[in-house]
Amino acid sequence: MTTQLHKTLHEEMHFFGGKDVDLCMNCGTCTVICPLARDEGGTFPRRIIRLIQTGQKRLLVKSLDPWLCYYCGDCSENCPRQANPAETMMASRRYLTSQYDWTGLARLFYKSALMEILAIVLVGLFVTGLFVWFHGPMVLTLPVQLNTFAPVKWVELGDWIMAGTLSFFLLTNAARMVWNTLDGKQMFGISPLIYFKAVPVFFDHMFTQRRSRQCGSTRSRSFWLKHLLLVSGYLSMLVLVLILLRWFQTDRIYPIYNPQRLWGYYATLALLYPTGAFLISRWRRKEPIHFFSEASDWIFLVMLFLTALTGIMVSLARVNGFPMTTYVIYVIHLSIAVPMLVVEVPFSKWSHLLYRPLAMYLVSVKKAAAAVSLKTQPEAATA
Amino acid sequence: MNTINNSQHDHQEPRIGVYICRCGGNISDVVDVERVAEVSRHIPGVVVAKVHTFCCSDPGQNTISQDIQAEKLDRVVVASCSPFLHELTFRGAVQRGGLNPYLYEHANIREQGSWAHKHDPAGATAKSIRMIAAAVGKLQYSTPLDQIRLPNHRKALVIGGGIAGMKVAADLAGRGIPVLLVESSGRLGGRLNQWNRVFPTDTPAGQLVTKLLAQLDANPLVEILLNCKVTAVTGFVGSFQVTIEGPLGPSGAMTTTQTTIGAIVMATGFKPYVPDDGEFLYKKDPGVVTMPEFIDLMRGQPTGTGELVYKGRTIRSVAFLHCVGSRQIDGVHTPRADGKINTYCSRVCCTTTLQQAIAAKERFPSLQVYDLHQDIRTYGRGHEDYYVRAGKAGVVFFRYHGDEIPRVTPADGKRPAEPSLHITFKDYLTWGEELTLDVDMLVLAVGLMAGDIPDLINMFKLPVGEDRFIQEIHPKLRPVEISVNGVLLAGTVQGPMNIEETLNAAGAAAVKASAMFLKDVVELNPYVAQVDTDLCQGSGACVTQCEYDGAIAMVETQVNGKTVRQAKVNPGLCVGCGACVAVCPTRAINLNGWRLDQYDAMVDGLTAEIPEVAAATS
Repeated sequence: MTTQLHKTLHEEMHFFGGKDVDLCMNCGTCTVICPLARDEGGTFPRRIIRLIQTGQKRLLVKSLDPWLCYYCGDCSENCPRQANPAETMMASRRYLTSQYDWTGLARLFYKSALMEILAIVLVGLFVTGLFVWFHGPMVLTLPVQLNTFAPVKWVELGDWIMAGTLSFFLLTNAARMVWNTLDGKQMFGISPLIYFKAVPVFFDHMFTQRRSRQCGSTRSRSFWLKHLLLVSGYLSMLVLVLILLRWFQTDRIYPIYNPQRLWGYYATLALLYPTGAFLISRWRRKEPIHFFSEASDWIFLVMLFLTALTGIMVSLARVNGFPMTTYVIYVIHLSIAVPMLVVEVPFSKWSHLLYRPLAMYLVSVKKAAAAVSLKTQPEAATA
Repeated sequence: MNTINNSQHDHQEPRIGVYICRCGGNISDVVDVERVAEVSRHIPGVVVAKVHTFCCSDPGQNTISQDIQAEKLDRVVVASCSPFLHELTFRGAVQRGGLNPYLYEHANIREQGSWAHKHDPAGATAKSIRMIAAAVGKLQYSTPLDQIRLPNHRKALVIGGGIAGMKVAADLAGRGIPVLLVESSGRLGGRLNQWNRVFPTDTPAGQLVTKLLAQLDANPLVEILLNCKVTAVTGFVGSFQVTIEGPLGPSGAMTTTQTTIGAIVMATGFKPYVPDDGEFLYKKDPGVVTMPEFIDLMRGQPTGTGELVYKGRTIRSVAFLHCVGSRQIDGVHTPRADGKINTYCSRVCCTTTLQQAIAAKERFPSLQVYDLHQDIRTYGRGHEDYYVRAGKAGVVFFRYHGDEIPRVTPADGKRPAEPSLHITFKDYLTWGEELTLDVDMLVLAVGLMAGDIPDLINMFKLPVGEDRFIQEIHPKLRPVEISVNGVLLAGTVQGPMNIEETLNAAGAAAVKASAMFLKDVVELNPYVAQVDTDLCQGSGACVTQCEYDGAIAMVETQVNGKTVRQAKVNPGLCVGCGACVAVCPTRAINLNGWRLDQYDAMVDGLTAEIPEVAAATS
């Protein structure tokens, strides 16, 4: 079968940050130098660059390779043409995110930072509006009665509605990713046992980001640790605000060593420290991964940082007995956190929390399926 | 025992010195050189036989020169390496000793002795002795010879007024040598008149022509004949008689002029490969053009327009296909009319293609430009920059394998705005995936072919290579000379070259031609045929057999008061091949230095019963 080429694909990649694709002469140095391209049969970044150069959109959308790269930047450093393969891999992740997303919002946000900011502002104003019109009585005596101002059962309901909404979008997008990469038909030909057996791979990579530790020499050793800290921080917050909100949002002030406060402080620090460090690194262009920053990268980090910062401020204001301050910052906190989650998780950078482990899972499924078909139909497999 | 016949020298016994070289062990590790010397001393005529570690070294050569004086030697044999290496060295040594340099023989006991028979030392030793005996035998019949000296006419002819011919003419005239520059068209500059800007400097081609024209115009020693052709040539190096026809006069009549020339430079150039009708849809689809046609159409685009328009169609995408008519593969590509395919790389097309792709992209930024290559051979200084720039400009590269020629098929063409051509090929930058490109225009980066100069080839007996280009004697050591003495090559008459290389070659040819004019006479090798007027019966067999026009002819001469027809050799044209010697019924022709009596003596030497040899071979 011959492949029709999309002439505009490499121009389109410019919007996603792949600006140097045209410089590549396909020598393959990037693939040779990449410590991750060795296993999983990957031949990235060269293969991905070639797909973009020639406009083979179908194969690019099908590819899992972009998710297998953790951006150490060795390829860019060794590229004889300064074609910046690492950033092309980053751009292709953004492109794939926009391709998985059926609403078209991801594409819109990546192409226009203004639209992304506008969406965040709109959702933020909506949250603010809810509190302006529907908040409970503002008790100004001590102790601070946050649960009177924002009753936990209503907040919890809101949390679940939000979580349900963004999960719906994220999961349907992830389903499209599976459909794309397993070629639709192939998907149903694979035994359910194979799908089941590969599940540990998903959680392994989701919680450890093990692959990123194999990254090349230019990556700082602390990066993986910072990233892991960040993951533990937001997973903690996820548990605290979705499942344990009734225990977490209390008016009673526990002693400092109480797990409620300790866990909260830990989660806050686990969010603030890495996001702050990453922001500084992006600003100063310290690590190769932070040499090139698109608007979407800045928005994600700034929003996450502000969410954590306002969260700890709510806690401090409440514990120290500033009722009005507590209520106002609480509204600001949610007006930042909610739009960040709604926009970033299904439609932008944060979606990689699902796509990366899912990609590893799918690679493992494909490998197992290929091994089975090689056993049952050796002729078909070699032909 | 055959005794070696030395009747010709019975008035005086020859005194021959034999020098056997160890070649630092290359010979002496196998051949018993001391025994060879011992036996050589017993060969009649030999008075000295010595062994030396390196005969070619200064002490080795001095031994020979001094022995000639001290021992009153009159002939010398050196048994050493191949004569290609050191025959001239030892001739020099003999000459310094006071002898005629042609009273010297070389016996190759290394390549034909120790190296060929390294597992048979006794056999190699015996063979070495025989080769020395043959050389001694031949030498007894050698006579002093002198180089042939012929008058040298201080004037050069340059055929072809392209950039190469212009450069040769300008260089020669600059050194004070009169030059006749003959160009068949009405204009100097050749192919450069067709091009726009030329790599690697992007200089306008016309500028190069103008600069050389100014040099030619300024020098009164240059005579330019436009619309003229060389129609006949006779003679030899130093004095060629050249007939030139043209120009077409106002009366419509051609004039014929004859002139005497000392040296000739061939600068007739190349012709671009013209694809067969239908090859990549050439001539079948208006969107398929060759590189010269593309350069022409780019030149013809009106300035200020944002779109490339060709034959009324807006061109939105263009693909360049490399190696059209170059690097062809036997069994894959269709041979030309002469049954040959062009297996060679045309060298200029890669950089030209990249240069033109960039030019197209810069001129028409919205144009989609594709490049289909086997390899990118941007080998020269500054050429690789074009490759980098083409990538930056957004040219998309594909790589096909030479034995999988891209297929070009017409699109249905129902809507005029749609691309007219499908190019289907396997791309090996993309793991061999079969791809289809849809484009409005396909530019065939055609290679270079040898120019159509059959008349000149016949006239000069030019050596034509397998690739149809004129072939030099040695690509490295004698790059602008050919086997025809006095005729030199400049530029693409010899093979594909870019403009820089062409001008280098032209400069080299001009220097070679200049060197020929350093002396008033031309000195040639004395190994030419000579007629013995006492024996020649005038059969004419030699003239019939001779392949070199004018080398031998029948002339009327007076013998004992009677007019007879006899053969006469023109030493300037004779190459010493010996064909005439073989057919002469009366053995009246001999090659100087290789006469029949010398061959007889060599055979006698090889077959003589030498006790040492008998012992070794029994």
